[in-house]
Amino acid sequence: MMDDLERELGRFEDLKHEDDFSDDNSTRGSKRTKPRRMHAETPRETGFHQSTRICLEHIREALLHHRWQEAAEYMACYPQKLEDTATSQSEQYTELVWRLSTEILHQHPNSKLDDYNSIYERMKHSGIRHYLMICLEHSFHLLLNGHIENAKNQLSAAESWRYGKESGHVRQQQIVKLIQAYRSLLDYMIWCDKRFTHFDTDPSSISNADMHNYFRQASVNLKEILRNPGVWDPFILSYVEMLDFYEDYEEALNVLKNYAYDNTFPPNPNAHVYLYQYLKRHEAPERKLIKVLKILQVLVPSHELMLEYSSLLLQSERKKDTQKALEVVLEMLAFACWKSNLDAWKRLKDIIEKLQLEKNWKDVVSDKMAERKNWWPALHFTSFHFRTDSEENPELVEVKASLTKILCPDLTMKYSAGQESA
Amino acid sequence: MFEANMDEEWTAGYREPCVQCSAVDWGVSDEGRFYCRSCHNVIERTREVVDPTFTPGSSRVSTIGKGSRTKKTERGHQWNICEGFQFILKKQAEALIRLGVSPRLKDEVLCELWRLYLQKSGQAFTDRPLTSFRVNVRGLDSDSESAAEFSGRSVSDTDGETVASSTVLSNAGSSVDPPPCSGSSDAVSYLTAQQLRSSSLMTMRKTLALIHIALVWIREALTLSDLLRLVNEGHVPYVNAFEELPDEMKLEGKDHLIFKVETIPSHESVHKEAQALLHVLQLPPFPPISCQSLLHPALLSLRYLTELNLPDELHLWVCRLMEQAGLEDQTVHTVDPLTLYVLPRYGVQTAALIVVTMKAVFGVDDLTEWEFSGQTGNLFNLRRWYKLLQAALIRAQQNKEHDTARKQWRSKRDVSTSRNRKWVAVKKKRTAEQVQICFERLSSRPAGVERIGPSSFRFCWGDEDGADGPGLHHLTLDGVLTLKHGVLTPSHSTYWHPALQQCNYWRCRSHYLKFEPTLPRMFVWLLKLFSFLLDVKPASLYEEVLRVERRVFGSRTPWRKTETKTETKTKTKTKTKCRPKTKTKTRPETETRPETKTKTKTKCRPKTKTKTRPETETRPETKTAKTDR
Repeated sequence: MMDDLERELGRFEDLKHEDDFSDDNSTRGSKRTKPRRMHAETPRETGFHQSTRICLEHIREALLHHRWQEAAEYMACYPQKLEDTATSQSEQYTELVWRLSTEILHQHPNSKLDDYNSIYERMKHSGIRHYLMICLEHSFHLLLNGHIENAKNQLSAAESWRYGKESGHVRQQQIVKLIQAYRSLLDYMIWCDKRFTHFDTDPSSISNADMHNYFRQASVNLKEILRNPGVWDPFILSYVEMLDFYEDYEEALNVLKNYAYDNTFPPNPNAHVYLYQYLKRHEAPERKLIKVLKILQVLVPSHELMLEYSSLLLQSERKKDTQKALEVVLEMLAFACWKSNLDAWKRLKDIIEKLQLEKNWKDVVSDKMAERKNWWPALHFTSFHFRTDSEENPELVEVKASLTKILCPDLTMKYSAGQESA
Repeated sequence: MFEANMDEEWTAGYREPCVQCSAVDWGVSDEGRFYCRSCHNVIERTREVVDPTFTPGSSRVSTIGKGSRTKKTERGHQWNICEGFQFILKKQAEALIRLGVSPRLKDEVLCELWRLYLQKSGQAFTDRPLTSFRVNVRGLDSDSESAAEFSGRSVSDTDGETVASSTVLSNAGSSVDPPPCSGSSDAVSYLTAQQLRSSSLMTMRKTLALIHIALVWIREALTLSDLLRLVNEGHVPYVNAFEELPDEMKLEGKDHLIFKVETIPSHESVHKEAQALLHVLQLPPFPPISCQSLLHPALLSLRYLTELNLPDELHLWVCRLMEQAGLEDQTVHTVDPLTLYVLPRYGVQTAALIVVTMKAVFGVDDLTEWEFSGQTGNLFNLRRWYKLLQAALIRAQQNKEHDTARKQWRSKRDVSTSRNRKWVAVKKKRTAEQVQICFERLSSRPAGVERIGPSSFRFCWGDEDGADGPGLHHLTLDGVLTLKHGVLTPSHSTYWHPALQQCNYWRCRSHYLKFEPTLPRMFVWLLKLFSFLLDVKPASLYEEVLRVERRVFGSRTPWRKTETKTETKTKTKTKTKCRPKTKTKTRPETETRPETKTKTKTKCRPKTKTKTRPETETRPETKTAKTDR
């Protein structure tokens, strides 16, 4: 029996290049082998291979030109390739058939869910190496069509799937993690449903226990998975929401902090946003909030939370913070998305006004503006900007005009109506 | 180990694929229930209703009460590989007869050829058979000398009898133990022997070669190209021909390696095979192929002219040229061990004749033929013809490619070379079928090539629906011919041709790829057109054109063996040299090359002919042939 298994597996190396399709969490990939050309014409090609090669070319052509009917017609002729005994790359062709078929099914107007199920089931079992991946994709498709229960069954089945040596493979383990994560996410969704339907009526009923059950199932997996470096945004949110609901604030905060500050994780601005939002929701002291936003500012200087950050800094008593706020807003305004934002300019005005209470405010401003004075006027204060601003937002013109002289004292271009003729 | 064997025994009769994963690999659990060893799916042991539209997950398995747990695997007849081939040959011949070939093909010709082949290749009817170590070929027929004695027994007996009569070859049951599995008895020895003596044993490709020889023997109007086209379109069984073997003859294991076909052999390879077979068979002289025979270029050219929508008048010129080349003589076309022991490629030769004729009449040098194309009316216009043909050719090529893409090659029967592989193969087949069915339903179009009725013509000209364009057969060539000294001659005066030196056949196979870029485009297009029509490589047609030209021009100036390679080079230049000459229409200057001499000859040759001379011979033929189609 072992022989059969080996035969079905084909050679191990053949599948290495499948990493090309791997998810974002994959941190490896340094040792990728170049995929072999699967469908090149060879001088001594048999008629069978010629047929399948040309057929594949036609399918690809039809797909590229969105001729789905034609693609489906040729696809009906292609599966004979699966029976090819003369190739050691049968797994690759299985994958090819799987991906082509699902793509055509996605686009073809007459495709039904039964077709999907049939194709997914067949492809799942015709090569163990893709089993988990196809399970995952299958459940995604079921989810898209609103079959949450079915999708969850699929994922649960995939979760308990074992195939000897093969399931110990690193790549398979990664997919298993994904499958667990999505299964837990579905648990969370069912939990949410139950929360909204039952919780109000009777908080201590059986259904509440049932709900807690789902929470337990989900949290066991999620807790484990969220330790793995990666981008887990939706999973984090759902986990935190559940923890929050059961008032396990400490754990929630821990998870979020870990997600934001663990260096093994890829840099992820959202991690800090979530942490900030959580802290804000739980009325954490301002200093903590500022600390979180400070890191976010380094990662994404144009983030929408920067307005809040500057206002927090402005409210602070310390002198340094006002200067920091000035820097934050100036940096924001360098980005196109903030360039003509009234709130940002107003905030800048507020900061300047607050600075002006101090003696050395001019030094501070010119200090901050030193590196910007070369390009700021051209970016903000030309007559063209004046015209567009006055058309779109007259209030902005006022704010900007009042700041012109302060920010750029030796301005040559003019941000006013008068100089147009000059 | 023991357990596995037990399981095998229990599950031996149960060969249904698993519902979950399509594997056929059943084990018996402790509770006595069947489970799939591949996906561990436990089933109620059932007999499943075969339903190809079955989708997993949506249908229930129906249970039927216990049958006998172990089913004895049925054993087929014990048979020889040769019998298998005999059966396939018989089916092929029957298919050809259904298509209209003379019924003599099967009993009188093919059967004899087959017997002769078996005898000459030492597989039967001989004292020292090749594959003797397993099968004892002795028996009543062994001391026969020639195949002629067997003419009484024909392949066309009824099925049962055929098998019975052919078991004469194997002398079944005398000293041979029954093989471990059913299937042919000598596949293994056949394969090893095949590796040792690769040429003499039967292969699938040889069936086509044999049939081709038989067709030439009875002078049937089917060229090798036609035969291969019929094979490719599935009118003659070849791909998966073993499916038609009777139930008693089961293919097992190694048999598949012998009978499985994954490609349709090329024109060139089958011709080569037939040539080799001819030497093995050592046949007496073939029935003569005279100019009344449909394989003779005189009539075959008419068919190609019709197919390509060329004017009938051109046939006259083809016949003249044929005479000039000495190709009208039947000895050139008849296989005879004394005079000609090569199998002529009738189709390719005729195509080459037409190409040379067109060169003589139209020029085909990218200049002359277009200069004459201005006229209208009842005159043949090459420009118009080219446009029509080019459009039709592109369409036909596209259709051919689409058909190639849609062609289904795999057998409906289980094909696996070893027992262990079988379960994998069955599973793959099921998977492929399911995917195919799914997409057939989705696209509401069955997979595979749509069967069309067999036709000797690829193009269709005339006014009917689906025609490739209007017919030009009735148009005259007056536009390109002028009356000189009372004789119709082509208007342009020179004929170009590439260097005609012979080169070493073994060393340099084809110069076509090297010369192709320098040849006139129209000429290359003509070659491509004909090579599409005949499904041969343009290179081999090009060689044939050169051969015809050599016959036309070189016959009077015998080719000298002393010509060296350096000369080859200078000679290739003469081609480009003489091309502008057609424009100036001056006679070639005093050049000492034998080639230029031949050029002057070509010019005067059509002149020397009176127009009436060939008419007496060819005209009536032309008429009759036209009424045929």
